[in-house]
This record gives sequence, C-alpha cells and structure tokens, in this order.
Amino acid sequence: MLYKRTKFFDFNYRKFIGSWAWILHRLSGLALIFYLTLHIWIINTLTRGSEPFNEVMTFLGSPLFKFLEVGLWGVILYHAFNGIRVVIIDFAKGSLFHKKLFFILTTIAFILWVAGSVVILTHIH
Amino acid sequence: MDEQTNVKVKILRYNPEKDKKPFWQPYEVKIEPDATILDILNEIRWKLDGTLAFRRSCRSAICGSCAMKVNGRNILACETPMHRFKGRGLKIEPLPGFRIIKDLVVDLDSFFEKMNRVRPYLLLDKPIPDKEFIQSPEEFEEIREVCICILCGACTSSCPSVWSNEEYLGPAALLKAYRFIFDSRDDAADERIDIVNDKNGIWRCHTIFNCMEACPKHIKITEYLSRLKVKAVENSI
Repeated sequence: MLYKRTKFFDFNYRKFIGSWAWILHRLSGLALIFYLTLHIWIINTLTRGSEPFNEVMTFLGSPLFKFLEVGLWGVILYHAFNGIRVVIIDFAKGSLFHKKLFFILTTIAFILWVAGSVVILTHIH
Repeated sequence: MDEQTNVKVKILRYNPEKDKKPFWQPYEVKIEPDATILDILNEIRWKLDGTLAFRRSCRSAICGSCAMKVNGRNILACETPMHRFKGRGLKIEPLPGFRIIKDLVVDLDSFFEKMNRVRPYLLLDKPIPDKEFIQSPEEFEEIREVCICILCGACTSSCPSVWSNEEYLGPAALLKAYRFIFDSRDDAADERIDIVNDKNGIWRCHTIFNCMEACPKHIKITEYLSRLKVKAVENSI
C-alpha cells in the first residue's frame, strides 16, 4: 500500500519569491472575483430605479468602504503588475530575471497604491 | 580527521506493513562537520538503525537517485553538505507529490510514465544517415543545458501544479519534450507539441519557479517551458 502524503498542497514546502508571487496572484484574483460579483449586484439595483441605487451608494460612502476601496486599489495593482510580470516571463525571457522583475514591478505598484490611496482618502464627499 | 559534531536529525518514517501514517523519528548522529546529507543517512543506516530505507547510488550527483526534501526544499542528498542548513537541525522527508513506498523511497512510476508520454527519443521522417547525424554547435546550444537533466524528480516533486493535479505532465517531462522539439535532428515536433498543448500539459505551468529553485543541475526550467508555450501558440496560429 502506497501512502499518498501530499493531498492538495504541501504547506511546509519552502516558499521562494516565485511561490509568493503566485500565491498572492491567486488570492488577489479571488478577491477581484468577489469584488466584481459585488459590483454587478450593486449596479443591478439600478434596474429597480434610482432610489434603491442611491440608498446603496450612500451606504457605500461610509468610511469603512473608503478603507476597503484602498484595499481594492492595492489588490488591483498587485494583480495587474504581477500579470505583466507573468507575460514578460512567458514571452520575453523574464525567467532569467524574474526576482528582479518582481521587486521592480511591485515597487511601481506600491508607489501607485500610495498615490491613489491619498487621492481616495482625501476625497471625502 | 576533523573533529566530529553532534547533529540532530528528524526523519519521516513510514513502513506500509506496520504504520497507518508516516511519523517523525529523531536521531542524533556524530559526524564530521563537512558531511553531506547522504553521509548522515548512511551513518544512521549503517550504525544506528538498519531499517531506514532510502535510495542512493553514485554519491556524486549524476544518477539522480537520492532526491529528497530537507528542511522544506528538494535537494540531492549526495551533493548537499549539512552546513548549508546550519544551526537549524535537519528534517528529512521523502519527495512531496509522490506516493511513499517506504521511508524516503517514493514511487516514481508516474514520473517515468509521464516522461514516456512525450516520446523521449528521436523520431525521424528521413532515412538514418550512414555515419552520424550532423548537428552544428549553434543547433546544439539550443538544447545543451536541457540535456544535462539527470531525472531525479526534484523539479516535478516541487511543483504546486503537480501536487494538486496528478495528471499534469510536470516540469521534467515538459523539459524532455523541449529537448526533442528543439532538437535539429528530430522530425516529430508537431506531434509532441500536440501532446504538450493539452489541458494537463504546458498550460498548467503557472511560472511559480519552484522547479528552478529545486533543480540540482541549475537548469532554467521555467525559461524552457516558456519557450514551449510560445512554440505551442505559434503552432496553433
């Protein structure tokens, strides 16, 4: 009887930069799917006229959602910039310098995240 | 002779005839500080516990028998000195992703079956030449690095896509496909691309780079798999 030890994921395998990039890409992807579902559901309230829509929009204007928006902006940036990294890896020999690519692209994403967050947080209606 | 040191080693043991589940067994080994992981395993097997099972053969990083997981990463036991894992103690496990036969010995049948699926030999349309096949140094350069793969299984075993899907060909078999698709003497590139361009083929590579970190021969596996992806796309246009 052979024993199957790795059921789905070997959690105690060491994680290198490539593994972290991939794990974060998957998680941010899931977060984006969740956001898009929510987004479509909210837009859907428009089909019942402007009143329900405005109600939801005032609810979403609360400070809690401001912070969630900052998080969303970060998730979008990471997913987009790591996506660019994956394209460079597959089509432009990026495997040879993938760790540098990760640091360069996440740094750009981080700068954009800080800049965007300032705009989001200072724009209170 | 160097002064000997004490090393604490934990090995994942599993005997299918007795144990329901693998368990960690601690050992304490007295050994030279420049010993390799294989030296430690030999020391245990020869002097402390003769029931420990593991594969080894050439002890010079060329047969590919002794790939295993040490302190969370796949390595070749024979070429890895223990001081690489300094001060942390050693945790030795069989290769992840494969089924365990006994202790550190895993079942590699699926690994070689996948290797066979990409037809790892020259396939020809032209007649076989009288003397030898001519290949220019430039043509050989395309596949030079890939040819040094020793089939140890460290890459395929380190790949999260393999862990979650046993049907996925895995880095080693795909690398073998690259080796023949990009060989100037071979005539069956299209056939191999069809095998590789499959839902359990090249597209399950998510560029996680575990294979490149694990490869004891430092082959840039992900780069070659990316070239295969480009080739597969070109072929389907």
